[in-house]
Order: sequence, then C-alpha cells, then structure tokens
Amino acid sequence: MIKKSRKVRDYKALTKALPTLRYLDPEYVYIHLYNARAKTYDLFVKEGDYVKVGEKIGVRHGGFFEQPIHSTVSGYVGKIMKKFHRTGRKVDVIEIRNDFKDLYHESITDRPDYVIEQLSQDDMVEIIKDKALVGLGGSGFPSYIKLGTKDPIHTVVINAVECEPYLSSDYRLILEHPNRVVTGLKYIMQALNAEKGIIAIKSEKDPLYEILTQVLKVRFPELNIEVAKLGNHYPQGWEIEVFKYALGIEIPHGVLPTKFGVIGFNVSTCVGIFDAIKHNLPVIKRHFTLTGDAINFPQNIRLRVGTSVRDLIKLSDGFKEGVKEVNVIMGGPMMGVSATSDDIIVSKTTTSVIILENTEYVEEPCVRCGSCVYSCPVSIEPVQIMNAVKRGDKDVMRGLEAYKCIECGLCAYVCTSKIHVTDYVRKAKKLIG
Amino acid sequence: MPKIISKSAPHLRRPNASVTRMMRDVVIALLPLTMFAIYKFGMNAVWILLVGIISMVATEYLYYQVMDLLDGEKLVLRNKRFTLYNYSAMTSGLIYSLTLPDNTPLFVVFIGGALGMFLAKLVFGGMGQNIFNVAGVARVLVVINFGTLVSYDIDSVAGATALQMLSENAFNPAVLDSFSLLNLFTGMGIPGSIGEVSTLLIILGGIYLAFRTSFEVRIPLVYIGTVFVLTSLVAIVEGIGLWYPFYHIFSGGLMFGAVFMATDPITSPITKPARVYFGFALGFITVIIRLFGAYPEGVVFAILIMNMFVPTFDYYKWTHSKFTRKRNLIFASVVLVSMLVVLVGVLYA
Repeated sequence: MIKKSRKVRDYKALTKALPTLRYLDPEYVYIHLYNARAKTYDLFVKEGDYVKVGEKIGVRHGGFFEQPIHSTVSGYVGKIMKKFHRTGRKVDVIEIRNDFKDLYHESITDRPDYVIEQLSQDDMVEIIKDKALVGLGGSGFPSYIKLGTKDPIHTVVINAVECEPYLSSDYRLILEHPNRVVTGLKYIMQALNAEKGIIAIKSEKDPLYEILTQVLKVRFPELNIEVAKLGNHYPQGWEIEVFKYALGIEIPHGVLPTKFGVIGFNVSTCVGIFDAIKHNLPVIKRHFTLTGDAINFPQNIRLRVGTSVRDLIKLSDGFKEGVKEVNVIMGGPMMGVSATSDDIIVSKTTTSVIILENTEYVEEPCVRCGSCVYSCPVSIEPVQIMNAVKRGDKDVMRGLEAYKCIECGLCAYVCTSKIHVTDYVRKAKKLIG
Repeated sequence: MPKIISKSAPHLRRPNASVTRMMRDVVIALLPLTMFAIYKFGMNAVWILLVGIISMVATEYLYYQVMDLLDGEKLVLRNKRFTLYNYSAMTSGLIYSLTLPDNTPLFVVFIGGALGMFLAKLVFGGMGQNIFNVAGVARVLVVINFGTLVSYDIDSVAGATALQMLSENAFNPAVLDSFSLLNLFTGMGIPGSIGEVSTLLIILGGIYLAFRTSFEVRIPLVYIGTVFVLTSLVAIVEGIGLWYPFYHIFSGGLMFGAVFMATDPITSPITKPARVYFGFALGFITVIIRLFGAYPEGVVFAILIMNMFVPTFDYYKWTHSKFTRKRNLIFASVVLVSMLVVLVGVLYA
C-alpha cells in the first residue's frame, strides 16, 4: 500500500507478561571458541580438567582485539565439537559437564562501592576487557573499545527500545532488575565523565517508564538520568534512530556517534557492565526469549550462556502439533539469521530464538507502489536498487547509495507484491563491496 | 519433528497488503461512477462497459495462452500468468470504458481495448513493465483512429460539451448559462464521457482510495491544484471571475484522469518529490493543451506524455527520496517559469 509505514506488528503479547523462567542448570554447556569477530583461539584447558564458574579457559583472537573465554558453569571440560553459531556457521565449541555445585572462581569477588567510586575510565576499560564484554544486543562489538573512547562524551544513551517483533527479554530485564540497569548506566557515566544519561524505551512500554522513574527518584536522586519515551515504529532501536528521537541529533552515514558527544549501549550490555564492575563477573547468564507461533509455550528465560536451544525447546514443550515446516531464527524476525538446524548454542550475543511456521510468500510483479522508498529509514530507494541488481549495473547501485543500507528488512516487510527486496539490496551491497 | 527451513531475513511480511487488494480498491472506488454512468446513459453504458472490460481481459488471456503455446507448454484453462485474479486488466478495462462517450460504436470500443492492451501492456512484458498507462493508450487510439465515429451526444440546449464550449468561446461567462458549476460538479445534465461527468463521485472514489492508501494522493492533489492555479492566473489577467478555474477543474476528464489514471503506480515516478513534480508537469501540460492546443481536452495526452518522462524522474543521478532545500528552490523556479509561459501565451494568443 502506498504510504510510509514503519509500524511492524509486534507479537510481543506472547511473552511480554510472562515472568522470566530460570533455567540455570543445564547438564552440559557449550562455549563458542570463535565467533563472528574473532576467528582463531587458544585453549588453556584440556579434556577432563575441572573448571569453575567465571574461570578463564582460553582466549579468542580477533583482528584487533583479544577476548578471554570464560566458563559459565563449574564442572569438567569435555570434547571440542562443532555446533551452530548465531551467524549461521558451524563453529568449534567446547563442552563442559555441569557438576551442579556452582562453584565460583576465586577472582569473582564483589567490589565495594568506595572502590568503584575511585575507578577511572582506564580501570573500567581494563576490567571490561578482562571480562570479555561485548555488545549484547547482537552486535558483538567489544564494549571496552567503545567505553575507551577518547572523544568527550556528554550524554550516554541506554537503548532499551527492542523494536524487533516478538522479543521481550530486554523488557523483562528492566521490569525485573531496574536497579542493575540504572547502576550500570551510573558506572558508564562515571567512566566517561558524562553529565547526562538517557534510558530510551518505547512509548507503549508504560510499566517500564513508571518503574524506571520511580527507581530513579527513590534510589538515585543524585543522578541526572532521564527516561525517554520513543515512538513505536520500526527500526526505532537502531542506534542512529534512537539518537535522533531521544536527543534530536542526526548522525550522518559513516560518522561515529562519539564525535557528536553521545554514545549508546544496549540495555543488556549495560547490565553486563554492572556485573563486570560490581561483581567482577563475566557474562555467564543472560535474559533470553524463546518464542514464535510454532512453539507450545513461548517463554522468557534466564539461562547460562552456552545452553543448547534443543534443551530449551524441550522445556517449552516442543513444536506445535501439525506444523510441517518451521524457521528457527536467532535474533529478531526482521534481521535475525535463520538456522538450518535446531542444534544451536546460546552465545552471549543471542537475544532470542524465534520459531515460526514457515510461510512461502508468492511474489508478484513489482507495481512500483513506492512503499519501500517511502518507508526506508536511510532514505534510499530499494526498488531501484533491486532493478539495478537484476541488470547488474554497479554504477547505478553506487549512485543509489546501496551501501547505506542497514538491512533492517523493512522494504521486504512493507512490499505490496511480497518481493524479497532486502535480499536484492544485500546483494547490491556485496557487489559494490 | 518439523522440517527446519532456512531463509534470509526478514521473516515477516506485512499482513493485508497485496497487489490484488490495491487493484480491487480501484474497482470499488469506480463502482459509484459506473452506477451513475448506467443510471444516466442506460443500456449504452452497460454495453460499453462490458465490451471494454472483456476486450482487455480477453486479449490478455489469449496473449498468454498463445505465448505458452509458443513456449511449448501444455495448454491449461487457468493460465498462471493471467492477471484476472488480481483485477489489473479489469481495472484498466473499466477505466478505459468509463472515458468513452456514450455513443461510441461497440466495435470501436473493442478494437481500442484490445489494441491498447496489446500495445501498451503486453508487448512491454505484462504487468509492472508497461511504460504507458494502458487505459490512456486505448483511449487515445480510439480518439485518433476513430475520431469521426466518436463524438459526444449533442445536447439539444448546449450543443457541445463543456470544454468544447470553452474552447470555442474562451473567457466568455456565457458558457455558464449552458453548464452551471453545480451541474458540472454533480454531473447532472452534462454531456460527456460516460464516467467522467460527475466530479462529486470521482472525489468520493478518491477519498476511499486515500483512506485505503491504495493510491498516491499527492499526484491528483498537485495535478488539480496546478490546473486551478494556472487557470486562476489566466482568469485574473483576463479580468474574469473565479468561475473560470472551477469550470476548468470540474469539466472534461481532469478529475477522472487525475484520480484514476495519473495515479497508476506502474506509470508514475517512485519517490515522493518526483510524484509531486510529476503531478505539476501533468497540470502544466493539460493547461497548455486546453488553452493553446487543437483538442479541447488534454488530460489523456498529458498523462501519456509524462509517462514517457517517468524514467527521467527516476534516473539514479538525481533521484532522491526526500525533499531538500535545493530541489525545492529549483522546483519553485520551474513553477514560476511555467506561470510566466502561460501568461505570455494568453496575452499573445
């Protein structure tokens, strides 16, 4: 239909009201040895070794950083095997058999508040680097690099918009642990010496607004933190869009937000920073959503990193009866990766697994209605890029700025003819490099 | 254990959006007009509508069957490329027949429809590929090839259609004696094409389409607005009243063409600004043809001429999906220049 349409049906009612289920003691956990950003690794343990929670068992090597690998249970190290990662590739994982004692490693000790107050930016960066914290919203970008920025920062924005349909883990996280979120933000503001903090939520998430303002008023009256209610449209959770609506700052393509004095962290990352600094804890547990229309009991789950999704599907009473074909999607349904098997491991950056009944959409010829052009958040023209890809005309792809695409998937979502426009734009991005 | 299918994101699609819905909405929006046409012109209108629609749908069906035969495929009754299910050929046929005068011979209706469908749509590759508006091409084929056979039913009082009157004695308020503005607005007692006469019902259809977001509302608004402004300018220069611009926008095929033909998304530009420029260009050309051309009516020609320029609007070097200051300035100067052209034309004509 010919209009700008950025409303995406959100299906969050499936899990939004459900309290988070604890599933903290799987028999085995599997820890990824490499991931989307780090391609090689060294392992410090061998089969049969005993490890404790939070113990460093190896290190991943990325292009420009190193990332320690931590055990998320106490128990015995098993074999190295291959399992699916969030990115859709099979990667090496190490199996650890849980002994259910939950023994924490000696290094995991709480830092008293007076020590934390003395920490400088460099100290915090060092802690976070050591605890291997990455962007937990799905980006996987090492947080210490972000936190170690040398640009002057005046505002820290916590992104709790969660604009993808179906997901509700961030929502439950704030609802259940608002203190951790605010304290995490306090630490970030301290590290960056920022004057102001903003927690960005969707305007429809009213309970969050009340809870956060209450917590801020009662517990943290000294902090300059605001709760910003942003719109309900998609992709409101994209960082640039959050800055635009929360602060009115428009950041052009290819410029780092820190140049404008603002920085954004995902709400899970913010809680991760709280855990790392307060408890000296790496990411061993996370909030997770297992949902979709093809699963019997959609749930929000708090789980150990490294839990197998197969166990979780069993926990949710399996697939619905009579469903012949499903998509297993890691991440949100708009941008997530669809797996070829359910043998997936929850990594630090996996926010959710969504199980949808497979629908084959019938593509009709493009009628040039322009919905994709009207709706595109980066103001490019997906349909014209699609035609250029069909012709193989790279000049046109470049001229139409296909490289700006953030692959939010809105163009395919709104398409009147149900054409997979996003896929063509993705191809264009690859072709022009 | 269900089978796991891997696909690329996004995994969701907008519910309630389809080409079928869009085309069906156009048909629904045209229904009041169709009914009015039948009420006003009786069986003549029924026959024209039937022949117009059938000529287009049948041509498309036959074409795809023949193409399948040539491709060596098995002949089946339900051709998969046939577009009856999504109303696209039917919409074109309906629009085409509504633009015809009530005494058009049926064989002319048929030839126009079949040729129009073939030349404007099928040879370009079917739905979504056509450069020219199908209904428009069919209408122009009828005007050019059978011009003498197609004339408007001469009203015993007026003697010509509203625009013919205006074309013959321009700037003379006497035309209002034959056609009052109220009659032009409601379509009562006005000779003309079977579906074009009632401005009121066309606006109703347009409002329906706008609410269903099945067409681009900017094109008709800018188009009609441009005609109104340019003819007001003429009215001011000639020292005649406000009836003149209203007379222009209520008479002839302007409303119908603006709402139902110019907005065909396949033959209009793709970005918001380009659609505004497109609407403006349509208005300008229409006014030029009406004031200085040989034909009293210029809407269909304007639409076909601008259809040719759609790829120019969408050329990758200057297409842009947002209005920018620079573009607005250029557009504003183009508007001023075109006003000047109209003024100079009126003063020296």
